[in-house]
Amino acid sequence: MSKTLFFQGGTLVLDDTGQHEAVPAPFQWVKGRWRCEGYHYGSLLPWIRQQHMRDLVPRWKPLALSLHDKREPHAYQLAALDAWDAASRRGSIVLPTGAGKTFVAIHAISRVGRSALVVAPIIDLLHQWYARLVNAFQTDIGVYYGGEKNILPLTVTTYHSAGDLIAEHGQEFKLIIFDEVHHLPAPSWGEAALMAPAPARLGLTATYPGEHEQTNGRWRVDELVGPIVYSQRIEDLLGEQLAYYRTQRVRANLTESERASYAADHALYMGYVRSHNLQRSHGAGWLRELMRLSTFDREARSALLARQRILRLLAGCQGKFQVLDELLREHSDEQILIFTENNAVAYQIAARHLIPVISHETKSAERKHILEAFQARQYRAIVTSRVLNEGVDVPEAKVAIVLGGTAGAREYIQRLGRVLRKVENREAVLYEVIARGTIDEGKAQRRRRGQEEMPNAHR
Amino acid sequence: MLTADLITPRLRWTSTTLTIELLDEQDLRWHQIAGELIALLHNQVGCSFGSWTQALEAYIGDSLNYVVMRGLAKVLSDAATFTPPATHVSPTVIRERLFSYGPVFEARDVFHTQTHSEVVQDAAAELGLSKEEVEAALFADRPSHTILTDAGPPWTPADLLARYNLELTRGVLYWASQLRIDVAGSYKDLWKYLKLFKLMFWATQEAEGYHLELDGPISPFVHATTRYGRAFAAFMPALLLCERWRLAAEVHPPVSFNALTYRLDSSSTLRSHFKRSGPFDSRLESDFAQEFEDKFGGKRGHWLLIRESEVLLLGDTVMIPDFVLIDKQDETRKILIELVGFWHPNYLKRKVEKVRAAHCQHLLLLVYEGLNLAPDAFQDTESEVIFFPRKPVVREVMEAVEAMAERVYGPRVKREKRETKKPRARGKSEKRS
Repeated sequence: MSKTLFFQGGTLVLDDTGQHEAVPAPFQWVKGRWRCEGYHYGSLLPWIRQQHMRDLVPRWKPLALSLHDKREPHAYQLAALDAWDAASRRGSIVLPTGAGKTFVAIHAISRVGRSALVVAPIIDLLHQWYARLVNAFQTDIGVYYGGEKNILPLTVTTYHSAGDLIAEHGQEFKLIIFDEVHHLPAPSWGEAALMAPAPARLGLTATYPGEHEQTNGRWRVDELVGPIVYSQRIEDLLGEQLAYYRTQRVRANLTESERASYAADHALYMGYVRSHNLQRSHGAGWLRELMRLSTFDREARSALLARQRILRLLAGCQGKFQVLDELLREHSDEQILIFTENNAVAYQIAARHLIPVISHETKSAERKHILEAFQARQYRAIVTSRVLNEGVDVPEAKVAIVLGGTAGAREYIQRLGRVLRKVENREAVLYEVIARGTIDEGKAQRRRRGQEEMPNAHR
Repeated sequence: MLTADLITPRLRWTSTTLTIELLDEQDLRWHQIAGELIALLHNQVGCSFGSWTQALEAYIGDSLNYVVMRGLAKVLSDAATFTPPATHVSPTVIRERLFSYGPVFEARDVFHTQTHSEVVQDAAAELGLSKEEVEAALFADRPSHTILTDAGPPWTPADLLARYNLELTRGVLYWASQLRIDVAGSYKDLWKYLKLFKLMFWATQEAEGYHLELDGPISPFVHATTRYGRAFAAFMPALLLCERWRLAAEVHPPVSFNALTYRLDSSSTLRSHFKRSGPFDSRLESDFAQEFEDKFGGKRGHWLLIRESEVLLLGDTVMIPDFVLIDKQDETRKILIELVGFWHPNYLKRKVEKVRAAHCQHLLLLVYEGLNLAPDAFQDTESEVIFFPRKPVVREVMEAVEAMAERVYGPRVKREKRETKKPRARGKSEKRS
C-alpha cells in the first residue's frame, strides 16, 4: 500500500507507515503515527517525491494575478527579491522602515502566483495590508481576525489569529509572509509559523532579532522562515523618516461641578490607596490588588468606582471638547488626527463634528475608505481611540490632537514619530490637551520623560 | 463565554492545584439576584445592547458582588439575540455623506457657514430621510446599537446559577493544555463531541470504561500550548452526560506562573446543557431498526438489537457501529452492524480505512449500492460486506448474521430452559436461520 501524507491541525501525518520503518528525522512516533510540525513540509518535499507517496498536503491554488501597482521597484528591492528567489523562496529580507517592505511582498506574491497568507502583528497593520493588496491586485482580499473572518486565496491575518487559521486552512497557502518577523520568537506567535506547511516563506523586518532574542524565545526565526537573504543597512535610509514637529500642551479647565466631583472622587480614591499603602506593598501590581480587595471590602469597592468615575470624567470633560472645538477651527485647512482616551468619546466627537471615526469596530473596507479619503483630502479629520498605532501608515497629517491619554510612553512616541510629517517646510504640531490640576498632568510628565529617553525620536 | 476578568476573581489556588469557587445553587441570596437579572433582561427587550449595559451597571451600583452579577449577566446576554436595527439607508452611506462636510460646529463662523444642524438637515433631505432618522442611523451598525429581540431561553434563577457555574468551569478549561479523563458508562455522546470539536485523543480500555488523554495535533511539538483550550471548554458539557467520570486538567491561568491541576469528577453538581443525542442519526438507520423490530423483534427472534453501544478503539479514533446484535441466550455472541448510506466521498474513505484498521471479524457492513464506491474498496477488510440496491433487506441481513455468528463463535448451543420459556420465539428464529 502506498504511503499517504496528510495535514492535520498544523502537523504532517504519515499514514500506512509502521513504527519500525525508516522515516526522515523531523517525524516522531506520536499516538500511533509518524507526525511532525507543518513547517518541515518544504524540506521534506524531495523525500516525499522520492517515496512516490500520496501527498494530500497542498491545497493551494494558482492565482491569476495582475499587478496594478505600476511603480517600478527600486534596484535594492529587485536585488532583495532575486536573493529570495535564489534561496528557494525561503528567508527574510531586512529593510529599514519606509523602504517599501510591503511593495517587496506584493512582488513576491506576484512571483509565486499561488495562494498566499500575510501575517501582521496587529489589526491596524492587517487593515493596512488589506488596503495595499486590494489596490495592488484589484481583487478580493480575505481578512481573518477576531472581527472579520473571510478566507480567500489571498488572505491577511494577525499573529494572534494565525494559529487558528493555519490549523484549519494552513495547507491552502503556498506562500506565507511574516510582517515584522522579529515577533516570531514569542511563544504563541511562533506556533503559527511552526504549523504552516507553506514551502515558500518570506520574513520582513527592519530589525532582525539578535542571537539572544532568538534563544530567549522558543523558536529561531531562521529555522521557521529561513535565513536572512537580503539586508539593507538601516542608516542608509533613515533620517528622513523622523518627524519634525513641535509639541504644545493645552490645559483645559474643569467646570465647577466637574471640579467638585473630581475632588471628591480623587480624595476617596487616593485616600484608600494611601491609607492602605497599596503602592508600597504591591508595587506595579497595586491596581490588581485594589480590584481583588474590591470584591469583599466596601471601601476598596468605593475607591475603585471613584477611580473609574475620574477616568471617565477626564476622558470627556467639557473643557477638552471646547479646546478641541477651538483647535479644529484654528486649523480649518489642515489635515488633523484626534486621539481620544476611549471609544465612547471618539464616537461622541464623530457625531458632534461629523468627522469619520476609526475604532476596533471599524471593518477593513470602511477603514480603507476613510484613510484613503483622508489622504485625498475629502476628509479633513479622523478621530480614533487608540487604534492608529505602531507602524501604521497614516497619510500626512499636519496636526495631531491628543485628548488626555493614559497610553504608555512607548505608544505615545510611536504616535508622534509616525503620524506627523513635515510638509512643505511647515512645522507639524502635536497638541496635548490635559485637564488642569488633575492626574492628567502627572501622566503627561511621565510621557515626556519616556520621550526624552529616545532623543532621536523627536527633533 | 465568560471573560478572564469575570473568572479569575472566582479562582483559588495553591502551588499545584486550582479550584473554583462555584456559587451555592441553593443560596437564596443568589436566587434573588439571578431572578432580578433575568427580569432586568426581559425588561430590555426592544432596547439596545448599550441600554442593557447601562441598566446592568445601574443595577450593580456599588455592590461587592459585581463580578458575579456581571458574570450572570454575561451568561444571559450570550444566550440572547441582539439584532442590528433596520435602517432605510445603510449607516455606511449616511456616514460617507455626512463626514464629507466635517468638521462642522454648532455655531457659525467665517469659515464654517453651515452649522451642524443645517448639514444634517440637508443630508437628510438628499437621502429622503428625516433629520432624526439620519441621526439614529449614523452609527446604527455599532454592536452597542443592536436591539435585544429575543431574551433567550426561559431561564429560572436555578437554571441561570447552574449555567453560570458550568461557564466558570469551562472558563478554567480555556487555559488548559491537556485533559486526562477516565470515563465509564453512556459515553456515546462523548465520542461524538470529541469529533465535533476536533480534539485529538488517545484512548485505552480500562477495567471499567476508558482512559483518554486529550490535546491537539501540535501539542506534542510545543510546550504546553493553550491553543485547544476553547475546544476543551466547548467539549466539557459532553463529559457531564457520562455516568461516571473523572477529569484532571493541566491549566495555565493568568493568576499563576506554574501549571496547575484542576480536577473534577461525576460527584460534581454541574449540569450539562447539551442534549443527549436522539436514538437515530439517519432515516436509513431508523427504518432498519423499525423493520427489525417488526420482523425479528421482541419474542420473534433470539437477537436483541442495540443501538451504538459498542466502541471499537482504534488508537487516535474510535468506530461506533450503528447497531449491535446480541444473542439473548449467550451475550458473548455479538455481531456488529454498520450501515453505509449516502455520504460524502471523504467520509466513505475514512470509513473504509477505519473498517480495515479495526480487523474486526464480527462486523457486518451493509452498503447501499448506489454509492459511488469501487467494488474492491472493502477488499482488504476482515469484515463481511453485503451490497443492497436501495436499502438493506432485513431478512437477508439476518441470514448473513446467523452465518457469521456460526463462523465466528461456532454453532449455537440450545438451552432447554429458555426453550421452554420461549417456545414460539425459538421456533421462529430457527426457521429463519
